[in-house]
Amino acid sequence: MARGAGGTRENGVSSSSAMPTSVEAVIEQVREAHDRGTPLRVVGSGTWLDAGRPCTATAALHLGTVRGIIAYEPGDLTLTALGGTTLAEIESATAAEGQWLTLDPFGAPNGTLGATVASSSWGPLASAFGTPRDHVLGCEFVTGAGDLVRAGGRVVKNVAGFDLVRLVTGAWGTLGALTEITVRLRARPELDRTLIVTIDDSSPSDVAHTGWRWLRASDFTPLAAELLSPALSAALGLERRSCLAVRLGGNEAYVHAATEALAQVGELREAPVELWPTLAQSEPVAAMTLRLSALPSRAGVLWDHAVTLAERHGGAAHATLVRGVVRCILPANDDLTLFNELSRSIATPPEGITMVGERLPAALWPVLDRDRSIATLSDRVRDAFDPAHIMNPATVGAAT
Amino acid sequence: MSVRSDLAQKLGAIAGAHRVLARPGELRAYESDGLPGYQKRPAIAVFPGSREETIAIVRLLAETKTPFVARGAGTGLSGGALADDVVLLGLHRLTKIISIDGENARAVVEPGVVNASLTRAATPFGLHYAPDPSSQTACTIGGNVAENAGGPHCLKYGVTLNHILALTVILPSGEIVTLGNANGECEGYDLLGAFIGSEGCFGVVLDATVRLVRNPQAVRTLLADFMAVDGAAHAVSAIIASGIVPAALEMMDAPTIQAVEASIYAAGYPVDAAAILLIELDGATAGLDDDVARVEGFCRQAGARAVRIASDPADRARLWQGRKKAFGAMGRVSSHLVVQDAVVPRTRLPAMLAEITRIGIAQRVKVCNVFHAGDGNLHPNIGYNGNDPAESARVHEAMTLIMHACIAAGGTITGEHGVGLDKLPYMDALFTPGTLSAMCALRQVFDPDRRSNPGKVVPVHSCREWHAAPAARGRTA
Repeated sequence: MARGAGGTRENGVSSSSAMPTSVEAVIEQVREAHDRGTPLRVVGSGTWLDAGRPCTATAALHLGTVRGIIAYEPGDLTLTALGGTTLAEIESATAAEGQWLTLDPFGAPNGTLGATVASSSWGPLASAFGTPRDHVLGCEFVTGAGDLVRAGGRVVKNVAGFDLVRLVTGAWGTLGALTEITVRLRARPELDRTLIVTIDDSSPSDVAHTGWRWLRASDFTPLAAELLSPALSAALGLERRSCLAVRLGGNEAYVHAATEALAQVGELREAPVELWPTLAQSEPVAAMTLRLSALPSRAGVLWDHAVTLAERHGGAAHATLVRGVVRCILPANDDLTLFNELSRSIATPPEGITMVGERLPAALWPVLDRDRSIATLSDRVRDAFDPAHIMNPATVGAAT
Repeated sequence: MSVRSDLAQKLGAIAGAHRVLARPGELRAYESDGLPGYQKRPAIAVFPGSREETIAIVRLLAETKTPFVARGAGTGLSGGALADDVVLLGLHRLTKIISIDGENARAVVEPGVVNASLTRAATPFGLHYAPDPSSQTACTIGGNVAENAGGPHCLKYGVTLNHILALTVILPSGEIVTLGNANGECEGYDLLGAFIGSEGCFGVVLDATVRLVRNPQAVRTLLADFMAVDGAAHAVSAIIASGIVPAALEMMDAPTIQAVEASIYAAGYPVDAAAILLIELDGATAGLDDDVARVEGFCRQAGARAVRIASDPADRARLWQGRKKAFGAMGRVSSHLVVQDAVVPRTRLPAMLAEITRIGIAQRVKVCNVFHAGDGNLHPNIGYNGNDPAESARVHEAMTLIMHACIAAGGTITGEHGVGLDKLPYMDALFTPGTLSAMCALRQVFDPDRRSNPGKVVPVHSCREWHAAPAARGRTA
């Protein structure tokens, strides 16, 4: 969920002169860095460099040039691409066959598949299809020691050997640089309809709770269902109030019946399907983003807390209700008082609410209260795959 | 007092003397799992009755540096839950369903809870536990986690990995860790994902928080029969390519159909068919019959002689019973049965089934196919007389050829049964030395002494180089 829409500033990291175009060249560069102890920042399209993670690398390992779809068999609904392949390239190749990769992370479509998997980024479609861990069937990566590892496979079901695929998915490149990935695809639905539901409830928390209750009890599974805060609704050209954006997919009879069922929840308005890419790219450049999560049944409390936090800082929020996750988008702000207040909010989340940073200023990363219970185990994983600690060192969200 | 009897006594002090077995005769039942071709004799078996006892036992084993194997119901099909001279840690008494949260559709269970019992307990909430291995009436959630178990309905709903939210685990060192976050998102490495399917090599599950799935509003179960295996395989490819995701899409060939129909599990399958497909579609009632009609059309276009829809829940249960008890039905036919598990890309199914037939004829063995066609997950089984060395050798050769054919087709050597002992010989053919070495490295993180289910998943020779300093490790993949 974390690829930023921001620019490609490299946080003071000097770019290596070589731009590898082959896996062999990547191996070569990593081995050299390993032998010299040169810390590397792994870079795809460079769209999430602004995540602000305090990576201490002095050189860049560019994977954006290691790109291209290398196997696509529509009848198998699987696709294999090099790590630097952009989501837009995959979108266009699969659309021609009536298929799609059901990962729609926030940010621009020029983000790479490698970065999406490495950062475990996801978007609204996760309501129905899950996150990268549910999509990746196999991958190839170059460890911090320069060893090439090929994990998983190209088939949809596979339990051969220990699951290195899940291990490197979401590891932010700290266990290895992803050079090739095989993903599961799905057929595009016959109908793809987006509806805006305006729920007439007294308070924002009631709206969230009503939306969640419907999703939980319904016989229909929307492709996506995002609750938008008033500010975000307005930014998307909708009425300034909490709205539920629902994406329905299926055959005509299914979509028709689901629409009728939704009409019982609130007032419906059809919206163009372009609402979703617009939402994905709606945040201002350099905005801070963080995610709050809780048990889905606590949707009301969670939404209340997140919207209050977002509005206090002039921002917006949206919730993936079935996953119990709210994403807060806060514009960058120089006001020290507000900054300190935000820092306190992040440091002390309410009981039962977990906070995960996506893109934050460097000063806020250490404030996040991270669960350290598996730190030792994580450190040992890191030592095993990147013994010299050269891959994205000090990147928050994984052992450093 | 010998070391063994000293340990047995200490284990008895924790779990009760009557929960410890140490005499060879008593241990016989624990020499094999569901794949009787492998026999390994544990030194001691112990059966704790509580979480506390389990923790105390694992810590005692850590102190005494004793190798151990955790075991659920022993229904595994890869020779996974057995080893010579170990302490066998039987967890089937830990059967508490600690909580069911109907609102958030989840449950917290002990590892010995039987898969089907969990679904029974979730029924009053309108929920079920989706992964449904054929052994679901006996197999345990702990074992399902260890093997990343699948089942027919994983086609639509996903495997065990997709249904575990968090695990409390005791590592072989005795340290207790929580993997995943049951109450929100999780940051850091996906150690939960790494643990699931680690075949008992990474530690022992103390409790699991599982996701439950809402029961579908409507279900349609279809039986399509074909006069040619190839036609059935092509129907499978057509259905998958259409984008319709059936809840299950299973195939059985003539030898399997005949074995089932001759058994007490007879399901009314047409005994003269070359193959049948058992297809289930579920979800909202609206639109479901349109999908059923399309699926029926694909079957008929591929040459189906007849397609019928189960008339009522009893008819549906009967159709499924034949499928789920097919392995059992084969037990009537021969004294020994080898159950295989491999996966190929779904477009390769017709060619692979033809190849399996060729291999069977060449090796003079009778292969029965009953499998999860929608996933490309094959289960070629061969019944034989294990007391006939020549026939046993031909069976072994046929299976080896089938596995290598699946690898050559871009497939894998196990889709849901695990590597255990049975698939170890194929790991070198499937993975590069660099990849096997990385797997050893991961195991080393969880179990540095390699005491937890020793000798499984990764061939020992692959791990040798792991002992060298990282920089000195083999560089080529």
